[in-house]
Amino acid sequence: MKLLRSDIYENLRMALSTLLANKLRSFLTVFGVVIGVITVMLIASIISGIDVSVKKEVESFGTRSIFISKFSPGIHVGRRSREERMRKELSYDDAIALSNLPAVELSVPFLDITNNFFGQKLLVSGGGKTTAGVALQGTLPEFERAGTQVVSEGRFFTQSEEDTKQDVCVIGSKVADDFFKFGSPVGQTIKIGSDEFRVVGTLQKREQFLISGGSDDQNNVIYLPFSVAKKLKPNADDIYILAVGRSGQMDEAKDQVRDLLRVRRQVSFAAPDNFGMETAESILDNFRSITAGLAIAMVVISSVGLMVGGIGVMNIMLVSVTERTREIGVRKAIGAKRSDIMWQFLIEAATLTGIGGVVGLSIGWLSTFLLRLLLPSYVPLWAPIGGFVASVGIGLIFGLWPAWKAARLDPIESLRYE
Amino acid sequence: MSDVTLATLPIEAALQQAQVNGQHRPTSLISMRDIWKTYQMGTEEVHALHGVSFDVNKGEYIAIIGPSGSGKSTLMNLIGCLDTPSKGDYWLNGKNVSEMDDDELARIRNQEVGFVFQTFNLLARATALHNVELPLIYGGIGSTQRHEMATQALKAVDLSDRVTHRPNELSGGQRQRVAIARALVNHPSILLADEPTGALDTHTSKEIMDLFERLHSEGNTIIVVTHEHDIAARAHRILSIRDGLIEKDEKIK
Repeated sequence: MKLLRSDIYENLRMALSTLLANKLRSFLTVFGVVIGVITVMLIASIISGIDVSVKKEVESFGTRSIFISKFSPGIHVGRRSREERMRKELSYDDAIALSNLPAVELSVPFLDITNNFFGQKLLVSGGGKTTAGVALQGTLPEFERAGTQVVSEGRFFTQSEEDTKQDVCVIGSKVADDFFKFGSPVGQTIKIGSDEFRVVGTLQKREQFLISGGSDDQNNVIYLPFSVAKKLKPNADDIYILAVGRSGQMDEAKDQVRDLLRVRRQVSFAAPDNFGMETAESILDNFRSITAGLAIAMVVISSVGLMVGGIGVMNIMLVSVTERTREIGVRKAIGAKRSDIMWQFLIEAATLTGIGGVVGLSIGWLSTFLLRLLLPSYVPLWAPIGGFVASVGIGLIFGLWPAWKAARLDPIESLRYE
Repeated sequence: MSDVTLATLPIEAALQQAQVNGQHRPTSLISMRDIWKTYQMGTEEVHALHGVSFDVNKGEYIAIIGPSGSGKSTLMNLIGCLDTPSKGDYWLNGKNVSEMDDDELARIRNQEVGFVFQTFNLLARATALHNVELPLIYGGIGSTQRHEMATQALKAVDLSDRVTHRPNELSGGQRQRVAIARALVNHPSILLADEPTGALDTHTSKEIMDLFERLHSEGNTIIVVTHEHDIAARAHRILSIRDGLIEKDEKIK
C-alpha cells in the first residue's frame, strides 16, 4: 500500500520517461485506443445533439398533439409506395368530426397550398422581396389554442375573418425576418399570387432538428384562413389534421381518433390504417431507434479500436519486459518486490493507453467543432470521462499479463540476461 | 534438524548447529551452517554447494575466490539473498534467511544487502541521484528524506558534482562509484561486490579498491567475489571455493 500512496508518482515519472524514449513506437501502439476514444467522443456528441434537438422538437410539437396525414409517419427514403400515394385525402369534415370526440380537445385541418413541382405557382412577395419557397397553410383560428405556435406580436386571425374569407395572414419568424427586416411586420402587406394580404400577427421561432431554410422550415410559413387558402388554390386537396387530446387522456384520444378515421375512411376490419398518426411519443420512438443504432455503432467501433490498442499494448509491453529483463533483475536485487515490478509495468501500460486516451479526447473534442457545422451536437460529460477510464482500463487489463511475467522473473537469471 | 543429521556434520559445525537449534542466535553477522545448493539438470542432481559453513563478523573485509564452476556465484547469490539454500541455515544479522519467501527476501535485500555488480547495472535513463534513490523508493522512504540520503551517499563516494548526470555521461569508474553509492544508501549490513573491477582498467580498478578500503575502515562489512588474486589480496580474509566446498579460509591481515 505504501506504493500506492507515495510511489505512484515515481512510477508515473518512470513510465513517462520510458514512453518518451520510444515516441514512435508508443504512438503506433496506442493508435487503436486513439481511434476508439475519438469514436466515443464523436458519436456521443451526435447522440446528445440529437437528444436535445428531439426534446426541443417534441416540446414545440406539443405533448398532446396528434398529427394525422394520409401518409404513414416515420422516416422514409425515396418515393412513397403506390398504395400510400393513391390513398384518399383527408378532409375538412374529418377534422371537424374529430373535434367532436370526447377525448379530443380540438382538431383543426390544414390545407397545404405550398408550391410544389406541379400546378400553379403562388409567388409570395413583401418588403420588396419575392419568393416561391414559403410554406402556405390554410387553417382555422382554433389552431392557436393547440399551443404549438405562439403569437409573438399582433394576434391570430379570427373565426369571422375565416367565415368572411378576409385576406389576412399570420407569419412565421423566418418570413418576418426575410421580408420585414426593419420595423414590425404587423399591419404590413404581403402579396400572395395576385391578392394582397394584411399581416395580423407574427409567430415565435420554433426549435427544430436538422432543417433550416426552404419550405420545410417550420418558421418559414404563412398561415391563412382555411377558406381563403381554398379560394387561392381551389383544386388543392392536400389536407392534414392536428388533433389535441384532452389532458391525461392521450391514449383514449389516439384510440378514438383512429377508430373514427377508420370508420370514415372505410377501412375494413383486418386491414391496416390507410392514414398515419404521429404523436410526440412516436417521434421520440423514431429518434430513439436512430440513437440506439448510433450507440451500437459507437460501442462496436470503439471497442474494436480499444481491443486493437489493447493487443498492441500487450505486445509492446511484452517486448519491453524482455528488453528490460536485466533492469528487472537489478530492481529485484536492490529490493523490489514482485508487486513493485507488477505495478511498475501496469502503470506503464496504463500511462501509455491513458496518453492515447487523452490524445483521442483532444482530437475528438476538436472534431466536434467541425461536426457542429453539420449537426447539432455537444459533448456530454460522460464521453470524455468514459473514454479516459476505458483507455486507462485497457492498459491495466492488457498490461496484466506482461506485468505478471515481469514480476515473476527470477532475479538471478535476469541479472545474467544479456 | 534431527539428531541423525547432526551426527553426519563435521564436529565444529555440529557444535555451532546445536547452538542454533538451542535457540541461540549466532552472534556473527553472517552465519552459514551446512549450506547445500542442488540443481536438477534433467534427471541428474548437481550439487553446486555441498555443506558450506562459515561465519563473518561485522566489519570484516572478505574476498571469495575460486575458479568458474566452483560454486562461487551460487554462494554469492545465497549470501545476497537472491536465492535460498536447498538445505542448511543461513543467518544474516540475526535473521534466518533460509526459509523466507520472495517478498521477505526482497525486503532483506533492500535493507541488509548492498549489491555492486561487474557491469554496474545502473538505469540508463535515470540520473545518478535517481539511481541511488531507487533502493530507498523500494524501502518506502519519503521523497525529501530520500533525496537527502541519496545526496549523502553520492558525497561519500566523491560524486557530489555528478548528481544530475546520467550513466552515459559518466566514466566507468564514476559509474561504479554511483553503483557503490546505491549499494550503501540504505546502510546495509553487508556490501556484496561481484567482480567489481571486472569491467574497469587497472588504474580505475585501483581507485575502486581504494574506495572499498576506505569504506571498510569506516566500519562497513565488505564481501568481494572475484577470480583475480590481486583484487582478493586487498581483502583481510580470503575464502577459497572449489567444487562446492570451502577449500581454504585464511586471514591475511
